[in-house]
Amino acid sequence: MASDKELSDFLKSVDKRAFKRTLYAVRDEDAALDIVQDTMIRLAEKYADRPAAELPLLFQRIMSNATMDWFRRQKVRNAVVKNFSDFESPGSDGDFDILETLEALGGSLASESTADTASRAQILLAIEDEVARLPGRQREAFLLRYWEELDVAETAAAMGCSEGSVKTHCSRAVHALSTALKAKGISL
Amino acid sequence: MSQPTHTTAADTLQARFGLRVAARLSERAQEVGPDVSERLRFAREQALQRARTVRAAQVPVKVGVTRAGAAILGGHPRWWLTLGSLLPAVALVAGLVLIQRWQDNAQVSVAAEVDAALLSDDLPPQAYSDAGFAEFLKTPDE
Repeated sequence: MASDKELSDFLKSVDKRAFKRTLYAVRDEDAALDIVQDTMIRLAEKYADRPAAELPLLFQRIMSNATMDWFRRQKVRNAVVKNFSDFESPGSDGDFDILETLEALGGSLASESTADTASRAQILLAIEDEVARLPGRQREAFLLRYWEELDVAETAAAMGCSEGSVKTHCSRAVHALSTALKAKGISL
Repeated sequence: MSQPTHTTAADTLQARFGLRVAARLSERAQEVGPDVSERLRFAREQALQRARTVRAAQVPVKVGVTRAGAAILGGHPRWWLTLGSLLPAVALVAGLVLIQRWQDNAQVSVAAEVDAALLSDDLPPQAYSDAGFAEFLKTPDE
């Protein structure tokens, strides 16, 4: 059974990475914090009696499920909002889309220009940006393998897929990242 | 034969690249704002508090099992505890059933004795259904 200190140390060691990983997935800081908090509480409630060595994998699985739940809720909410928006005038929808598009364009242009500069903080930001742009499953596999340092079998268990799928996702993520970073003139 | 070697080398390069990216991400993750850090600290404390509550709720169950005879019942506390609480009720019902059967047997044996006495008597049993004999029995002795 994990002691209070072991559980506390584990949560402390994993909280920032967990927050960042969730943020890459959901792209909403408050939602990411809610998911991480929910994950910690679920782990503490249901698995506090497990040995400390089992906590990392359990934590990853709970967090994957919590993130999945969040996306499901968003899907339902968006469907409801979409149904209500059918009653609005078409003009207001058009304005909203244009603003969103401009904002998105501005963001990508800014990140591209920072990638060409030599500042370390900007390089870190560019790397993080590219990781966040990876397709969801590739990013999850890549981060679990190399950031959380799980092995292939553990990653497969956390993601609920085969070991072969994990290898494929990781390989594609590495190729996509190296290509994108090379295009920005960043070498690791 | 050269394909596995090539695959291994590619895997090593991939892992090296992945770990380098992860190192940069860790560096960047340390730069989260104070409000996020505070919120994460609050989440950790909530989780630890919840873990303490769960552990505290589990302790009385274990003590109860010990009192009920954990040394005999072994490692399945809740199942054995339920069974242990049901045993007295089962014993009570079995006792009541036995008492009922014993009383039935006693009544049957008494009735058999009466029947045997009637049949072995000189007076035939049909005499009791005769109205005149009944009247004779009611007549006080002179």
